[in-house]
Amino acid sequence: MRYGFAIDQRTCIGCHACTVACKTEHEVPVGQFRTWVKYVESGTYPDTTRRFGVMRCNHCTDAPCVKACPTHALFTRDDGIVDFDKDNCIGCKTCMQACPYDAIYIDEETHTAAKCNFCAHRVDAGLEPACVVVCPTHSIWVGDLDDASSGIAGLVRDNPVAVRAPEQDTGPNVFYLGADRAVLDPLEAPADATYIYATPDAQRAATAAEIAAEADGDARLTLNTAHPRPWGWRVWTYMWTKAVGAGALGLAALAGLLGVPLGAAGSVAAPALAVVMTALTALLLVWDLKRPERFLYILLRPNPRSWLMWGSWVLIGFSGVGLALLACGVFDVAGPLTVLRWLALPAAALAAGYTAFLFGQAEGRDLWQSPVLFWHLLAQAATVGGGALLVAAPVLGVPASGERFLTRAFVLAAVANLLVLAIEYAGKHASRSAALAAHMLTRGRYARWFWSAAALTALAAVLAALGWSGTAPVLGLVSGVLAQPALLAYERVFVRAGQDVPLS
Amino acid sequence: MTIHLPGDRRHEHLRNFPPPERWDDHVEYDAKAHPRKVERHFMLVPTTCFNCESACGLLAYVDKDDLTVRKVEGNPAHPGSRGRNCAKGPATINQLNDPERILHPLRRTGARGAGEWERVSWDDALDDIAARIRKALDEDRHDEVMYHVGRPGEDGFAERFLAAWGVDGHNTHTNICSAGARLGLGLWGGFDRPSPDHANANVILLLSSHLETGHYFNPHAQRIMEGKLGGAKLIVLDPRMSNTASHADLWIAPWPGSEAAVLLAVAAHLLRERAIDTEYVRRWVNWKVYLRELHPDADVDFEVFLDRLESDYSGYTFAYAAEQARVPEERIAELAAYVAGCDRRLAAHIWRSAAAGNLGGWQVARALWFLVVLTGSLGAEGGTSPNGWNKFIPEGPDMPPGPDRWNEMIWPREYPLSTNEMSFLLPHFLNEGRGRVDTYFSRVWNPVWTCPDGFSWIEALKDEDKVGCHIALTPTWSETAEFADYVLPMGHSTERHDTHSYETHAGTWLGFRQPVGRVAHDKTGRAYTDTRDVNPGEVWEENEFWFELSWRIDPDGSRGIRRYFESPYRPGEKVTVDEYYRWIFENQVPGLPEKAAEQGMSPLAYMRKYGVAEIATGIYRVDEKPLGEADLAGTAADPEGSETAGVLRRPVTLDDRAPLIGEAGAVGVRHDDGTATQGWRTPSRKLELYSPSMRDWGWPEYATPGYIPSHVAYDGIDADAGEMVLVPTFRLPTLIHTRSGNAKYLNEISNTHPLWLNPRDAARAGVGTGDLVRLTTEIGYLVARVWATEGIRPGVCALSHHMGRWRLHEGEGSRWVSGLVEITRPSDGTYLMRYRKHVAPFESADPDSSRINWDDPGVHQNLAFPVHPDPLSGMHCWLQKVSLAPAEPNDRYGDIYVDTNLSRQVYESWQSQTRPTLGPGGQRRPEFMMRPLKPIRRAYRIPSAPTDPPTTPTPPTTPTPTTPGTPTNPETSTSPGTPTSPATPGPRPGGGGAPSFPTTAATPGFPTAPGSPSLGNSGAAATPGTPGPQPRDRGGLPATPSTSATSGPRGFPAPPGPQAGGGGAPGLPTPSPGSPGAAATPGTSGPLPRDGGAFLATPVPQAGSGNPLATPDPQAGGGGAPGLHSASDPRAGGVPSTPGPRAGGGGVPGLRSARHPGAGGVG
Repeated sequence: MRYGFAIDQRTCIGCHACTVACKTEHEVPVGQFRTWVKYVESGTYPDTTRRFGVMRCNHCTDAPCVKACPTHALFTRDDGIVDFDKDNCIGCKTCMQACPYDAIYIDEETHTAAKCNFCAHRVDAGLEPACVVVCPTHSIWVGDLDDASSGIAGLVRDNPVAVRAPEQDTGPNVFYLGADRAVLDPLEAPADATYIYATPDAQRAATAAEIAAEADGDARLTLNTAHPRPWGWRVWTYMWTKAVGAGALGLAALAGLLGVPLGAAGSVAAPALAVVMTALTALLLVWDLKRPERFLYILLRPNPRSWLMWGSWVLIGFSGVGLALLACGVFDVAGPLTVLRWLALPAAALAAGYTAFLFGQAEGRDLWQSPVLFWHLLAQAATVGGGALLVAAPVLGVPASGERFLTRAFVLAAVANLLVLAIEYAGKHASRSAALAAHMLTRGRYARWFWSAAALTALAAVLAALGWSGTAPVLGLVSGVLAQPALLAYERVFVRAGQDVPLS
Repeated sequence: MTIHLPGDRRHEHLRNFPPPERWDDHVEYDAKAHPRKVERHFMLVPTTCFNCESACGLLAYVDKDDLTVRKVEGNPAHPGSRGRNCAKGPATINQLNDPERILHPLRRTGARGAGEWERVSWDDALDDIAARIRKALDEDRHDEVMYHVGRPGEDGFAERFLAAWGVDGHNTHTNICSAGARLGLGLWGGFDRPSPDHANANVILLLSSHLETGHYFNPHAQRIMEGKLGGAKLIVLDPRMSNTASHADLWIAPWPGSEAAVLLAVAAHLLRERAIDTEYVRRWVNWKVYLRELHPDADVDFEVFLDRLESDYSGYTFAYAAEQARVPEERIAELAAYVAGCDRRLAAHIWRSAAAGNLGGWQVARALWFLVVLTGSLGAEGGTSPNGWNKFIPEGPDMPPGPDRWNEMIWPREYPLSTNEMSFLLPHFLNEGRGRVDTYFSRVWNPVWTCPDGFSWIEALKDEDKVGCHIALTPTWSETAEFADYVLPMGHSTERHDTHSYETHAGTWLGFRQPVGRVAHDKTGRAYTDTRDVNPGEVWEENEFWFELSWRIDPDGSRGIRRYFESPYRPGEKVTVDEYYRWIFENQVPGLPEKAAEQGMSPLAYMRKYGVAEIATGIYRVDEKPLGEADLAGTAADPEGSETAGVLRRPVTLDDRAPLIGEAGAVGVRHDDGTATQGWRTPSRKLELYSPSMRDWGWPEYATPGYIPSHVAYDGIDADAGEMVLVPTFRLPTLIHTRSGNAKYLNEISNTHPLWLNPRDAARAGVGTGDLVRLTTEIGYLVARVWATEGIRPGVCALSHHMGRWRLHEGEGSRWVSGLVEITRPSDGTYLMRYRKHVAPFESADPDSSRINWDDPGVHQNLAFPVHPDPLSGMHCWLQKVSLAPAEPNDRYGDIYVDTNLSRQVYESWQSQTRPTLGPGGQRRPEFMMRPLKPIRRAYRIPSAPTDPPTTPTPPTTPTPTTPGTPTNPETSTSPGTPTSPATPGPRPGGGGAPSFPTTAATPGFPTAPGSPSLGNSGAAATPGTPGPQPRDRGGLPATPSTSATSGPRGFPAPPGPQAGGGGAPGLPTPSPGSPGAAATPGTSGPLPRDGGAFLATPVPQAGSGNPLATPDPQAGGGGAPGLHSASDPRAGGVPSTPGPRAGGGGVPGLRSARHPGAGGVG
């Protein structure tokens, strides 16, 4: 059984009845929508047209939100409905990143994720969803797509239909009849400076010009709803804190295994950084939850398919290793060091790099879907972690060989970092969305930040390289300092740009 | 057993509504608790939506725990809406739970409008108001009691209590709404509203946006789409790309006001191609009268008629229409081809839009029905029926007779053909000293906001000498309620009783609105006294309020009022609302008692359960319904040869009352073939292509469908000077007037108010999206924000009609939508309104109020519009000629500046175009025309007017073969002009002879119509003789030169021009040169000294010389003199030579010309 919708845009009149019926059924807070009507206009008078599109959750067969949700707050029912349980939701917003359709929001009242759930409570009582009942022109059809004899299956079978974002391979179960491509593809219709009777939200307005440059036709978005970026400074800051801790501990462990002496910087500072930065990371992550008091649900109601859940375990494991190494360092215990160092290497790599898998589950953010992201994160971690140790080195008196190791590691990491950047942004992107986001970074609204970050990293690499032999700890210190804001700046725009490409 | 629910539907395993047998205990899982299964028990109680006027069915979900309404869905039992709704239906719940609604009766404590109120008991309010009314009635001041209603939301109840009081005090909003279309349609068959059968149509032709707005939008949209899916072609005429236009197979954006020309070009095409239903036309159109009146020389033969008709309209070529409409000729040809191929299935609709926007807009509706008639689609399956066939209005028990009075504040003599009350002129009438209103009820009526010239309303409402006591009956605050003495809270759609019926399709139904909490109380055996006990706070319903008030006006029954509010079941006791509806449902609704009995229910119980009764389906061709023995008993047919030949009537007296539409006593018509059928509601019971009523009430030149160039016609717009046409009337799918302001879910969707402007116009003005512009009107200006869009035709800009809500004081308006304003008085008579605060989040019991994420309250444009009463229909002509320019440095968004001195002048200039005329027998108004509260027939007659003469139009059996134009028509001997009649209100002595329309006269476009004499007004205008002369009609009346002369001076003594410039308060916006006020005046006055009124329509430049079309036309020029004005110029008329050649000889004896002295005289 597979419940789905067929929306007949040939007869939809853009009246918003579905929107309001849905809102009254679910008492959706003002400013938020489970279904809404989008208007797109195109052409020049008198050959002007206006098209409508009813947007909502696609109840995907392979729903990325369900995979990404760490706590099973989102789940697929046996009848195919992608439902949610607000009582399980911690408000991490990963589902919002996972959804390629902009269908999920955090309810202002409950602070948990919500979306169209097919009025599952009505379906369970044998009733159609509220939007279907109200529609004046019966443009919304509902039924079992697996039942070939059903009206909806016939409709979908016998008519040309389209789905939104088919390239995401999510198996959408909302089929559109007679929908204009510019309505279904958000990149085809940039926002006008005003809507027909509302205002574009700030983010959409800010990105309109760049989208316009990419769009093929002359379609204009003249009505839509606001979908602000789910993730902000806490997330991009967390990517830095985590990288510092992971990079520092990873390099220290590597040095230890290689027999390179780092002194206190390696035995105390690095694990301390790992522990403190991971704690900060956890703090930021919990702070970013809309229901922070439920953070333990990640562990208590875990979804094994969610990288947010695995990431939590990674961070726990990593900080455990860090704590143990710190204890060894502080209490000068050498016994378990080797084992711990061997453990620290993968732990650090995972701590640094699991975000690539997490972001990989953000099916709505094509920029983040990069195959090199994992390696990029490792390079970044080595850069800022190594940089942090370079800063600590002069203070803690790292032996010259250690300084040399750190400097070379830093330089190599920074160069790798830059190389990945070059590969990432000079190459061809897998999708238009990714390309658009990349364009925003390299040539668009974030170019200043992006290039500043790259230049700072390059500068740091050059400065550090001048002390290649480990003989210029001051240069190391300076480059180590420079690397930190460089990464923060980069993560800031990377996280933002990824979310700037409209999905609806 | 269960009944068939028209809206019942299943999607395989799912159904759209629980079955009715479960409505008393419907179990649903709590949506918010989901996926936990928390059961909620509801009672499903039907009621009727009260947002727009479609009267769609609703089903209220009443929580059985506390009997509150939790949500509102559609009612599947409703044949019109079939369980579906627009956004405004479910949003009703917002209105019920609005934290800002008024819950208790309030009485003013400070000055009017000062924002000071105290709570008052219903008893005190009722006693006070009842005493006032009783006093007025006792002192024979009946006309000082006025009930002024916007959307009635009900049928027939208000008429009851007014009639019981003997008060002709029913005032409505109709003339700012739909009066234009009503006149145009009513002239054809009496019925004033279309009921298209969209679902079965082949061609759907809309001059409306019924896919997303307007009354019946939900019921109509359903059926339009069904029609489209069935292959119907959708054609939309709209200067703006509505959602409806976006679905059209053919969208034409004619220049506003040119629609009649376009439609008549289609008619001409149909006639040329004979793509008409000849048998239909032969049987139903009063073609003999047409021939007799316009072609007296012709044989009375149908084929001859067709030839003449074709010839009469031959001037309406595609080229001509294209020129007027400023659209490609091919588009019009395409339209014509569609219509020609409709095969009797042309579903057409117009209600407001062009008919409500333009001077002469009623001719647009009339021209539209011309197509419906010619194609034989009128009344046919898939065609267009009159509303009366698909609407049912029951009457309560012991209906009081109509009043024997005529309130001239509502039905003034200047507008004998106004389709409805001249409501929006009330402040001007008060200002002129025509009378006062002692007790003024406003109900669902927000004139300060909705009417043009709101500052004049404020002036009137603040003046206690003019308005003694203003009682606002309203669920919510409004701009008008701020100026009330009492604000009495009335219920929303789930909190009151009404019956309501509308023509949503080819069927008839009666909807029942009910206080659902009361029904729930009944079902659960909980006690209450009246509806107040079951509503929030002390919110009441009007039915019970009027019962109670009427009872208190006549507590002992001595005034004969109380008896109409006594129970039909308990003699002498006060009727309850249950008894009232019980009686109606038992006695007035065909089939209902039987239907109820089938279910073992009483009729009232049936209606309480289902909320609606379907009365009939598949209603077509009611005109052909044969009259039976009973119908024919006691009737006699009007004699052959008369204009009403064959009309079957019973004898009537002056104490009888005519039906809502139609003449008293008339029951049908006997045809040439001997059959007797119901026919139409016109005097002839036929479709009146030629309207003798128009002739008899002073407008013979418009006796047939024609084209009257609008006051905003293209020729009068100087684009280079920044002039444009502003369309201020279009609606959004989510909002309805000011009534939806308290629905948060609607406001969050629609909350900005951009000025639609074509990029070409924007570029010319040097502005772009987001820029502020100042739009200067005749009386002031407004400051709006631009949206450059390809969705509107160049030369026209548009602002939706919903926004611009304001409040003077915190707490006196809906903060979901309104801005706090400050009104200052730059000088005497001038006003500047400016926002002090835009929409902003606020704290309330509803957390959503703090989530408001919009801030634009919009631009209250209507304030800056003067009144534009169409001289015939009385419709306020909404479209504005404006000058658009970038905002001035000190302008702020939403600023409104108005000089009410100017607004008075504009009022007077339009008013001077009227013709206060009495019809045959001294009648104020044709009896057949709709009038919501029809007085008895005696009241139609001016006591002093002659009653004997030709009370009935004397059929001019003798055609006037004479030189066409010779004023031979004897029939109107009843001095239609009677401007002299002593009672003529106001200083309009010359009325009868008043010049014809300004536009007509001035519009240059006219005369030019190549070879189309008929081109409308050309007849009138160019025909010098038109009304001006009308010597014959006005025999002896001051219609002659002197009259004109009279009207001249006063007509325009004060051309706004001067004032506009000078009068403008210093520092105020001087109207830009293009602005009508300034520009037009001087120009106009030049060539049209006497006809100053003309300035309204066309700026002189064109009139004089600008119009290339105008000039070359010798005859129009009438001897070089701008023939345009000749209408008012007796000399022009007198000079037969001039136009003669062309008019007569040109072969273009336009429709009117023939009949018209003008034309005729020319010959």
